[in-house]
Amino acid sequence: MSNISSDDVRAEVKKFWDFLSRKLKSQFAEMYLSSASVFAADARRMEPARLMLVRRERELLGPASFVATKLGSIDVQALGADLAIASYPFHLSITRTRANGKRYQSEVPHGRATQVFQRDEKGVLRIIHEHMSSAEAVATKELPPTDPPKQA
Amino acid sequence: MKKISSEDVSKEVHRFWAILSGNLQVKLEEMYAPTAIVFTGKAKRSESAKLMAARRSRHRPGPGLSSRAEVGSIDVQIVGQDVAIAAYTYSFNTQKILANGGKVQINTSFGRATQIFQRGEDGALRIVHEHLSAAAPPATEKTGG
Repeated sequence: MSNISSDDVRAEVKKFWDFLSRKLKSQFAEMYLSSASVFAADARRMEPARLMLVRRERELLGPASFVATKLGSIDVQALGADLAIASYPFHLSITRTRANGKRYQSEVPHGRATQVFQRDEKGVLRIIHEHMSSAEAVATKELPPTDPPKQA
Repeated sequence: MKKISSEDVSKEVHRFWAILSGNLQVKLEEMYAPTAIVFTGKAKRSESAKLMAARRSRHRPGPGLSSRAEVGSIDVQIVGQDVAIAAYTYSFNTQKILANGGKVQINTSFGRATQIFQRGEDGALRIVHEHLSAAAPPATEKTGG
């Protein structure tokens, strides 16, 4: 099997954010291995990716939600033929819908991501661990019920 | 080469915090591979672990100052022959001396850590990537001085 190239990993990172912003649920879920673990940006504890996916699907992938990202420079550390770490800063603008139906808009100007990619048995790069955080407190405001999602 | 075990990784995590708390007089730099990258504290970008370790070493507790770390349950994923991911929560309480000579206590209650270890050719486990963050901003209080 060929070594993981930095370009391959950067392409996966871009796919990840593209799937999320275009609300492509199944493609987005397939980015993660079934055993993947995640530190979400606002979570106190780590959780299995499958739980995070349920929440992200409800909050971020619904019709009234919105995600836009600007990615900074992506550092790639290749750790052999099957494993690589991507780390990068990002600016995230999101409108999320909570379980109670209320919508919130958040700006994360200084997001930070670590994503560890591992090749699966088919040779596809998938995330085995993810750690998202913000270097600054995230500003969130509640949106009025009729306010449509902000568009880029 | 010896396979990585969860116990080996957990031991290294505890060693890391013992160094950072000033309870183990070992150079923090020794915990990191030369090419390691870290996200730490309020830094907006990743940086070389060498730079960060030199900075942390300068801020390690000196005489009259104390630091205490509590590490939660460490989740270790062995990903290949020589790489493991340690992910855990922590709390870290430390003191700093201000420019005016006063002391401040900084309490990070909801710390979150990802440390990726790789076994080097010398058999030692070293951190190749680290991401430390907090789910809530650290609380700061003056403690006199």
